[in-house]
Amino acid sequence: MQRRDFFKTLGTAAVVGATIPVMSFAAETKKKGPNAFTYEQALDVITGGKKPVKSDKVHLKVPEIAENGAVVPVTVEVDSPMTDSDYVKAIHIFATKNNNVRCIDANLTPANGKAMLSTRVKLGGTQDVAALIELSNGEFLIAAQSVKVTIGGCG
Amino acid sequence: MEERKSLIKIKPKSYKDGEIVKVNFMVMHPMETGMRKDKKTKELVPANYVNSIKFVYNGKTITNMTVWESVSANPVFTTYMKIEGQGDLTVTYTDSTGEVHEQSIKIKPKG
Repeated sequence: MQRRDFFKTLGTAAVVGATIPVMSFAAETKKKGPNAFTYEQALDVITGGKKPVKSDKVHLKVPEIAENGAVVPVTVEVDSPMTDSDYVKAIHIFATKNNNVRCIDANLTPANGKAMLSTRVKLGGTQDVAALIELSNGEFLIAAQSVKVTIGGCG
Repeated sequence: MEERKSLIKIKPKSYKDGEIVKVNFMVMHPMETGMRKDKKTKELVPANYVNSIKFVYNGKTITNMTVWESVSANPVFTTYMKIEGQGDLTVTYTDSTGEVHEQSIKIKPKG
């Protein structure tokens, strides 16, 4: 997949909505953006080298097949009492193969009452969407799910 | 400067003190990644995306988000919030060009 194709299609989708995606397969050398680092590096930056644990407490809701890669709804819910001593500190959402893997970081507080974050992201192609949860006791939880992108995002 | 519309929605519409409600925040924003080329001029469209969102309720920051360009155009952000008395809920967002916008609603719990 070429990044150029991805953004070209994305742009079209963003402006005209659901029109036919334009695709070109011209070769272009990859440029690195300011935020360009891999998924593993991004994880390391946030966790500080700690290994995140896979947990049933994290409920990541993403469609298995996304028709339009420009708008993919993502919902992350965490089972947490959200009290002053035990709460979810942050929810990070990653698109593992996008140019910029980081989508959103949300810093929550006990005033939220419920640990939930929902938004819509762009996906460049078929890839994994991951959610990294930071708990107030310093632990990290992770959940990931693959999303098949048919059209719109990349093609 | 183009005016950006934003909207805060609280679900359910009527709530009591101490209840946990859903807060929906929507912005009309193009979320340009800076990689897209204009079809006519063949030039790159400069990056312009929301990069920070802050939910403040009665002077207390409840949620603080950092956003990157991978979030869709016209983004919607949903979280929960605990109602603690009357007051204002203010959502401030900044985009990468430096524009700062503010939107606020009044919180009036019943009973």
